[in-house]
This record gives sequence, structure tokens and C-alpha cells, in this order.
Amino acid sequence: MIKLRHVSKIYPNGARALFNVNIEIEKGEFVFLVGPSGAGKSTLIKLLYREEIATRGQVIIDQINLMRLKPRQIPLLRRKMGIIFQDFKLLPKKTVFENVAFAQQVLGKGKKEITENTLKTLELVGLARKKDCYPLELSGGEQQRVCIARALVNKPSLLIADEPTGNLDVDTAQEIMEIIDKINRLGTTVVMATHALHIVEHMKKRIIRVEEGKIVADSKEEAFIN
Amino acid sequence: MKLNIVKYVFVQAFSSLSRNIWLSTASILTVMLALTLLGSSILFLANTTYVAETFESQIEIAAFLEEDLSSEEVSEIQSQIARLPGVAEIKLTTPEEALAELEKSMGTTTLLEDLGGVNPLPAKFTVMATDAHLVKNLALQIASIDGVAKIRYGQGFFEKLIGFTDWLRWIGLIVVILFSFASLLLIAMNIKTNVNIKENEIQIMRLVGASNSFIRWPFIIEGLLLGLFGALIAVAIVSFSYNSLLQYIVSSLSFIPVVADPDFIKLVLLVMLAYGMGIGVLASVISLSRFLRN
Repeated sequence: MIKLRHVSKIYPNGARALFNVNIEIEKGEFVFLVGPSGAGKSTLIKLLYREEIATRGQVIIDQINLMRLKPRQIPLLRRKMGIIFQDFKLLPKKTVFENVAFAQQVLGKGKKEITENTLKTLELVGLARKKDCYPLELSGGEQQRVCIARALVNKPSLLIADEPTGNLDVDTAQEIMEIIDKINRLGTTVVMATHALHIVEHMKKRIIRVEEGKIVADSKEEAFIN
Repeated sequence: MKLNIVKYVFVQAFSSLSRNIWLSTASILTVMLALTLLGSSILFLANTTYVAETFESQIEIAAFLEEDLSSEEVSEIQSQIARLPGVAEIKLTTPEEALAELEKSMGTTTLLEDLGGVNPLPAKFTVMATDAHLVKNLALQIASIDGVAKIRYGQGFFEKLIGFTDWLRWIGLIVVILFSFASLLLIAMNIKTNVNIKENEIQIMRLVGASNSFIRWPFIIEGLLLGLFGALIAVAIVSFSYNSLLQYIVSSLSFIPVVADPDFIKLVLLVMLAYGMGIGVLASVISLSRFLRN
């Protein structure tokens, strides 16, 4: 599903974020990107949703070569993926329901379809009862669940998460991980950048370790080698 | 699906307009001012040009001949004038005819006797030019012909009128440009403020894959509406004032020629509307281009 071939990223200011990265991720996989801050995890994530473009190499998602993607085609790519962040990026003046509905509204979906999808997705993340609350009335964990609902409501085949538990305490982080795991078991590919090692160790998923812009370890490769 | 999008775009645009009601009002008023000036300038210039043209077409050159010319000499002068380029018509008035005209205009029949039996009036050629702009040159050429003592034409006044309309055209143009620029800036500022207010929304829209045009449209419609509202007020002001002015002139100052062609007035008002909407859309596009570049 995702292929990175000899990918390097140098920012215009000269900062080298990634150097000759090769990764292959199958459909339905759950992959952790780990490594210290500034290792290049976020850059890697940004390359996947085409917020950044690789300086060299190829980034291919679902057979689409992102290097050749025209700017007006980017929205079509992003409709295949759900993205969640550490800072939830919720709209404070909209209710939980409206926040999730908004993601469908902007794709021009009909009202009936929106209502149906929104309620179903809020059910999935366990927030159906709080649909009329405003984000600031929710706990951090609940807010992140709204984000997950928003990311999932358009039924993406890929979920990209950049430090989704970064702002949460251990127990809440655990809850969030259970939801993400559930989504993965329902068939969505998950790529998640994190430096919360306790989560990573606990989940027993594929781990790719990034340091100074290079892949220094990949649990899948090692298992294969061993 | 299309209908949902259209509805969304308009709801967003109107809610933005009302959110910054003061900034919106300022934008609308500046557009109004710019367009009122534009419309009035166009109508004013159309009228001064029309007045100038109407009077210009009546300009004639009077060439007074020296005394004691023989009739051969007079017809020689006539054929010399007729050969000049730009002469449309030439008419001879003999001293006798000139005297008769003068008597008629003074309401007397004894003028010659009163003057002691000597007619002081010279023979005169009245020359019409094919084009008002040629009058001055033509007059000078006629003056240089032997036997022509003196010429007279609308020296000064019409030149001043033509100069005045040219000058007005420039002033009008500069004022309209300045105010257009001010409206452009204000609307752009208005849109920019709304873009900033909605930064989070826009970011989320981009992440979930809303197309750039979908993100842009509400702002473009917003700019268009600001321009349109300003233009509508300006159209109302200009058409009301112009019609009142027309009525006044036609009834009280009927000797002044005015442009009253309803099609022309409609065209001016349409130009104002289009100009207002154009400014609005341009301002939106300018303030969005930097923001949505990928």
C-alpha cells in the first residue's frame, strides 16, 4: 500500500530531515514510527499526506506516485486517508457532532448520509452520548476520540497519526490505542509516529525506528532476517 | 451533491459578512464611493463631450475681406479657400447683404442713411469645417490669404471647453483609480481577516481533502457580495441623481444639450455593477492566492 524508495528530504533552509529511506507497508498493517524528537518522524508522516514533498526518491501510496501528484489532485489523495494529531485541531465553536459532520460537509455529502455516518462513527469511538457537547467540555482523551471519529468518518483506507497520545496521560493513551487497534482490525492500515515506548512495547506491532533521518531498525525486517 | 455545495458556499459567505459587520460596512461604503465617482465621472464626461461636440459642430469661421476688392479678386479668394483641406461649406456675404442682415437684426431700415450713406461693412466668407478640430488651423490658413483682412471664429471658448473635458477626463480617471484601489485594499483586508479567523477550519478542510476551489468559493462569493452591495447602492444613487438632474435641465435649462439615451444610462449602470463585482472578486483572489498555494 505504501512504498518509500530512496527517499531523502532536505528543507529549503538546508536542514536534512530524511536520508535514503526505504519502507514498504502492506495493506492492513499497523506500523509504529519511533525515534527521538527531530529524528524525521513527522517529516515522514508529512510526506505521506503530501504536506511535504520528497527532495529525492519516490513516495507511492495505493499506486499513486506522490512525486507526480499535481496540487489539485492532493485533495483526492487525502480523501483516502484519515489524519490525527497531537493537538486535536477541533473547531471549538462546533459541537462534537458538527465537528465530525464538517469533514463530510466539505466533501459535499448529503445531510442524511452525513447524519448517519457521523452517528455510526461516534458510536465506534464511544462518544455517541456526547455528540452535543463542545470540544472544551470534553477531556483530552475524549477530544482525541472526536478527532479519530473525524478522521474515520469518510472511511479512509489509511489512518495516519502523528503523536496522537502525546498530550494524554497513560490510561487515556491506552484507551486511544485500543480504539486505533480496533480500527486497524476492521481493515484500516495504520501508520503512527510516537515516542511513547510503553505503548509501542505493549502493542506488539511492527516498529520502524528512525534516527537522524535514517531507518535504523525495522522489526519486520529483523524478524525476516532472524 | 452540487446543491449541498452551493448552499454551503452561500451560507459561509453570508455568515462571514455578518461576522465582521463593521469591516463589511466599510468595504461596501468604499466600493459605493468608488463606483458613485466612476458612474458620475462617466456621465459627466459623456455630457461635457456631448455639449462640446454639439457646439463645435456649429463653429464657423468668418473671413472678412479687405475693402475695394473687385469681384474677380473676391472669387479668386473664394476658390483659394475652397481648395483648403477640411472646408465643408463656403458662403459669401456681400457688404449689401451684411448691411441688410444688420438692419434686420436692429429692426431698422435706415441704417445706411444714419451712417452717412457709406456702408462700413466688408464682404465676408462664412466657412464651415468638416471637423471641429480643424477649425483653428483652417482659420490661420484663411487669414494668410491675400485680400483677407480679418478672421473670426469661436477663439478661446471652444478650445477651453475641449481642454476642460480632457482635463476632467484625467482627473476623473485618477480619482476613480484611487478609490478603486482603496476598495480593493479594504475588501482584501476584509477577506484576509476572515481567512485568518477561519484558519483552523481551512486547515481541517485541507486535511480531510476538501478541494482548493471548495475552500476558496465562500471567500470569493463574499468578495463578490461586498462589491455587489456597494455597487447596488452606487447605482441607486447615480441613477436617481442623474434622472433628477435630467428632469431639471430638460424643464428649466433646455438650451443645454444632455445625454438622455436610456440605453447609454443602463450601460453605465451595468458597467458600475460589473466593476464592483470585479473589484470584489479580484480582492478575494489576491488575499487567497498566498494562503492556498500548495
